[in-house]
Amino acid sequence: MSSYNPASNTGAATGAQQTGSITDDRSRAVEYTCGDCDSPVALKRGEPIRCKNCGHRVLYKQRTNRLKLAEPTIPAAT
Amino acid sequence: MAPAATTTSTDWSVDYNNKRRQELFRSPPKDKTAYPTLAAAVDPHINSFNSIFAEGGQLEQGIKDIGTKIFLDGDLNVQPEDAGERNRFYVRIQKVFLDQSTLPPSNKFAIKDHRLVLPAECRERHSTYRGKLTARIEWKVNNGDWQEEVRELGYVPIMLRSNRCHLQGMSPAQLVEAKEESEELGGYFIVNGIEKLIRMLQVNRRNYPMAIKRGAFTNRGPGYTPYGIVMRCVRPDQTSQTNALHYLNDGNVNLRFSWRKAEYLVPVMMILKALVETNDREIFEGIIGAAGSEGLTERQFVTDRLELLLRTYKVYGLHSKAKTRAYLGRKFKIILQIPQDVTDEEAGTEFLRRIVLPHLGSTHVTESQNADKFRMLLFMIRKLYALVEGECAVDNPDAVSNQEVLLGGHLFGMILKEKLDEWLNSLSFPLRDWLRKTGSSFTSQQFHSDLRSQIFKRTNENIGQAMDYFMSTGNLVSPTGLDLQQASGFTVVAEKINFYRFISHFRMVHRGAFFAQLKTTTVRKLLPESWGFLCPVHTPDGSPCGLLNHLAHKCKIATQSVDVSAIPKLVAQLGVSNKSSASLEFSVVVQLDGRVLGYCSPKQAKVIADTLRYWKVEGTHNVPVELEIGYIPNSTGGQYPGVYMFSQSARMYRPVKYLPLDKLDYVGPFEQPFMSIACTDPEIVSGDSTHVEYDPTNILSILANMTPFSDFNQSPRNMYQCQMGKQSMGTPGTAMRYRTDNKTYRLQTGQTPIVRPPLHNEYGLDNFPNGTNAVVAVISYTGYDMDDAMILNKSAHERGFGHGTIYKTKICDLEEGQRRGRSSKHVTRLFGFAPGGLVTAAWREKLDDDGWPRVGTELRHGDVIAAWHNVSYDPSTGEYVNRDGQTQLFKYKEDEVAFVEEVRIIGSESGTEPCQKISVKLRVPRSPVIGDKFSSRHGQKGVCSQKWPAIDMPFSESGMQPDVIINPHAFPSRMTIGMFVESMAGKSGALHGLAQDSTPFRFDEQNTAVDHFGHQLMKAGYNYYGNEPMYSGITGQELAADIYIGVVYYQRLRHMVNDKYQVRTTGPVNSLTGQPIKGRKKGGGIRVGEMERDALLAHGTAFLLQDRLMNCSDYTKAAVCRACGSFLSTAPTVTEFTRKKKGTPIVRCRRCARLSAGSESKSDTWVDGQGIRFTGGDDIAVVAVPGVLKYLDVELASMGIRLKFRVEP
Repeated sequence: MSSYNPASNTGAATGAQQTGSITDDRSRAVEYTCGDCDSPVALKRGEPIRCKNCGHRVLYKQRTNRLKLAEPTIPAAT
Repeated sequence: MAPAATTTSTDWSVDYNNKRRQELFRSPPKDKTAYPTLAAAVDPHINSFNSIFAEGGQLEQGIKDIGTKIFLDGDLNVQPEDAGERNRFYVRIQKVFLDQSTLPPSNKFAIKDHRLVLPAECRERHSTYRGKLTARIEWKVNNGDWQEEVRELGYVPIMLRSNRCHLQGMSPAQLVEAKEESEELGGYFIVNGIEKLIRMLQVNRRNYPMAIKRGAFTNRGPGYTPYGIVMRCVRPDQTSQTNALHYLNDGNVNLRFSWRKAEYLVPVMMILKALVETNDREIFEGIIGAAGSEGLTERQFVTDRLELLLRTYKVYGLHSKAKTRAYLGRKFKIILQIPQDVTDEEAGTEFLRRIVLPHLGSTHVTESQNADKFRMLLFMIRKLYALVEGECAVDNPDAVSNQEVLLGGHLFGMILKEKLDEWLNSLSFPLRDWLRKTGSSFTSQQFHSDLRSQIFKRTNENIGQAMDYFMSTGNLVSPTGLDLQQASGFTVVAEKINFYRFISHFRMVHRGAFFAQLKTTTVRKLLPESWGFLCPVHTPDGSPCGLLNHLAHKCKIATQSVDVSAIPKLVAQLGVSNKSSASLEFSVVVQLDGRVLGYCSPKQAKVIADTLRYWKVEGTHNVPVELEIGYIPNSTGGQYPGVYMFSQSARMYRPVKYLPLDKLDYVGPFEQPFMSIACTDPEIVSGDSTHVEYDPTNILSILANMTPFSDFNQSPRNMYQCQMGKQSMGTPGTAMRYRTDNKTYRLQTGQTPIVRPPLHNEYGLDNFPNGTNAVVAVISYTGYDMDDAMILNKSAHERGFGHGTIYKTKICDLEEGQRRGRSSKHVTRLFGFAPGGLVTAAWREKLDDDGWPRVGTELRHGDVIAAWHNVSYDPSTGEYVNRDGQTQLFKYKEDEVAFVEEVRIIGSESGTEPCQKISVKLRVPRSPVIGDKFSSRHGQKGVCSQKWPAIDMPFSESGMQPDVIINPHAFPSRMTIGMFVESMAGKSGALHGLAQDSTPFRFDEQNTAVDHFGHQLMKAGYNYYGNEPMYSGITGQELAADIYIGVVYYQRLRHMVNDKYQVRTTGPVNSLTGQPIKGRKKGGGIRVGEMERDALLAHGTAFLLQDRLMNCSDYTKAAVCRACGSFLSTAPTVTEFTRKKKGTPIVRCRRCARLSAGSESKSDTWVDGQGIRFTGGDDIAVVAVPGVLKYLDVELASMGIRLKFRVEP
């Protein structure tokens, strides 16, 4: 594909800049799935990557539970 | 349960076997694979790797060959004679072990049963599947006791399903459990998450003296002729040493060999005299034949030359074996790196052991082995003289009969052996250093304590790394070159575009990179010798044509030497004598693996060959069935006669039926040209044929066998199909979830072909469907089907015909480009948003709290894939803190919409580090669009030119519409009759619910394919010839002609417009010339070259040309001075008082201007950038010129050349 792509950050992107928020998700843990034993693994920022259960080293991100809408401008509550 | 119920059946027919396959898929067998034929296809790779570390295997033999290394202390600068007594330090390798792949002990977190590193994990983590290599070495000083020491030599890549792999012997059920395909074949390595294999190379047949005539031989020096005998001698550890005999003008013979990439020439007489205690008469009679034997008088040619050979050697004045050896030893001591205090004679013995015909004894060479070498050398000289005399023909090194296959495992073992050898040799530097620094000797106590910490530690012990480098680059770093003709290109990526391509990699044999540069095409020729060993169809066209071959599907490669200890005795019983007579008519040689067993009459030779063959098929007298018995009959000026037997590994062989016993026999390429093997049963000639093929399709490769009715096609079309089958979008496998290939293709709606050979089932190819059955009408219906275009039924497309997906894996690695020292334990970057930093909603649209993309998100160009920030370690809290509050991003840079399929978070092997790498698998949906490429299985490729609405498609009397319309013009010139037959067979198969057997060579003139399938069609109520009356979908009128319509299996090829199209009006330009840049990726243009320019000119489209070459390229407006005609002297003026005005600045010529005297009117003066006032120089014109013209002017000016432009009007 040609990279002839007019800059697309109009409207939505600039709007997003303004609604940008300062978040501190230091404490927030995200749940992953272990690649070996399938058990859920909750990890926080900066934590070593391994399954708490079996010590496996590959984790999968779980499928998002966010609603997929035709208009993706409505942010879902997470 | 009864055993009958539990064993998985491995018999397959041509049928669909829907239920059986479904059950195999749902519950993979727990005992063995249902497709042993498929597993056998990669056997040469796996077995050759297994033989490296096997008991008495390659490495064990290699260690024997390396032997004991001796290092001396004392002053190295003094001559050995006056150095006095020195201490000797002996080192040898006792055994080398390769462990399975496990976690390092530093990982304290994995629980006991989960410590294995399975191949699937390596693919997912983009790491190497490897095991620890350890060596147990022994050392002693002088005559002390041997001391043991275990050294770790790094991590070596392991071949999958080999005896060092966790997957070895796993049942399909276990394999699925281990996240592999149920039919995982192995045979490859995983290096940095990429599947790599060592490809097989064709090399000269081992231990067979080949007669060669090569012009380049004359370059060795004056007197050298093009004649030579070349023998590639292979040691038990599979390393080889080529010995060549050169014929000189005067009749002399020199032996040539390479040692550490340098060539050496030695008079062959010297070698003969060094090998055994001999005399001139023995040599004379050994070469020409015993005195008084028949035909001696006719051999004047050889006698003359032999006399000269013996006479000229006298100048050396070496008279005994010991003296000759000492002479050789003196010359080669340094070259062979033999310790200084070894006597010359011992060094000479070592020379003979290592270099002269090492296949007849390379460790602890005995007297009888030296006698063997002596006799073999005599035979080689004999053959050389026969060649020069014209008594025998040259052997063709490009024919398969004179070749064998260098297997991946063997090469791997050879490199490993050499690295071990090098490692031991490299001890000399730290030893010398230590001696110099401490000034002490090997006998001291300090040496004992320092050996481990200061000497071994300072050698490069990381052999694993070297092997890793070899596997990942395919480059061979070797001081000896391993007797190979190339140093790179040994490994290839086992691409899993579809299963055909994947499996073909393992059946691929390459002639060698050296031959790719040859201008002659002789090496690429398809020779009759290849019959049954290399597929005549399956080779790519273009530059690798004929060099890159594929093994016929029944061709096997020996990976072990068979036991032939009984053969010499049997041959002796059958009657051979030690002495030969002078003429080939009276005595020919009998050899086993390059060892002369004796001489016998030609008649007797045939008896020996026939008897041994009978025994070997019968399985009696301890003659193994895999033995190759090459009987070459006497001929006038043909190949040098004799019986040559081969039992060692790396040979090709294939099954045929031995008629006298009606039993399986294996034949090799060397013996095959002189055998009479009937192709089919009716072709057996009584009294002549000894063998018959099991099936004529045995000569084809796996892929070539899959082309239906290939015997009906013009042969290049079958070659094209072999190419396109490998390029089609198919099903790479079922374990896609656990794979992280850079790019894989997947066909969503794969089907089993209706028309296929039984081999399709035998190889289990229904597990990997590669296309779709389509109703194809051969009709010129619209204007959109010219030139191999095809029309797709829009409704067929909407039903999912040919729908495919591309999976791409993007790796986001925080450590990329950052060399983290071993000392720093802490990371400097973390994934996620910087705490306290600004996070925009647009980012959060795609990314989750953790800074990684949400699974299922749609990505467009420029979207973020992952967020990260810099951190530093805070030792007081033990946490990573971010100080700048800046969030950095990984972006999706491609233009196509993709969806996040999987996000893999990759932890370190130790399990202690925060995430530094994620791998994101993206899914790019690719439904067929206009411009995508499709192909039938007959080399008939075409591009979709329209998706035609179903209502406008023609329909048959039964209301059927075609899925695909192709143009009838695709057939006459290409003659792909097989496609017509497939169409008919597919149609009747679909109507009757049959799987049609499409094996080639099943029909003949009496029973034609058309008749067979025509009658089937008739039975179903259709036209015998497969054509039908059809009606126009637009007008509803019946078409004037009956239309040929049937069911053909269609492949969707991976070449898609979406990856190819390239358009631009304006875009990125080269900063120097201002012209558009090259490259689709960068948004560049396609060059309008001279020929395109000529075409536009010829059409008189001057404005179009102007647009292409100027306006869309480096169109520039430039100011030029009319007076002096220069671009370079014009300069913009500067307004003195006001700020810069908008609009074009006023330009004046500096050259034509005068310094302002102050008297001019203000409107006539102008000021330059330095504030100097000028007047005049106002005859300026603005012209449109190509940007490079100005650049050219500048370049020329720099050389003192002025361009002057006349600007008119």
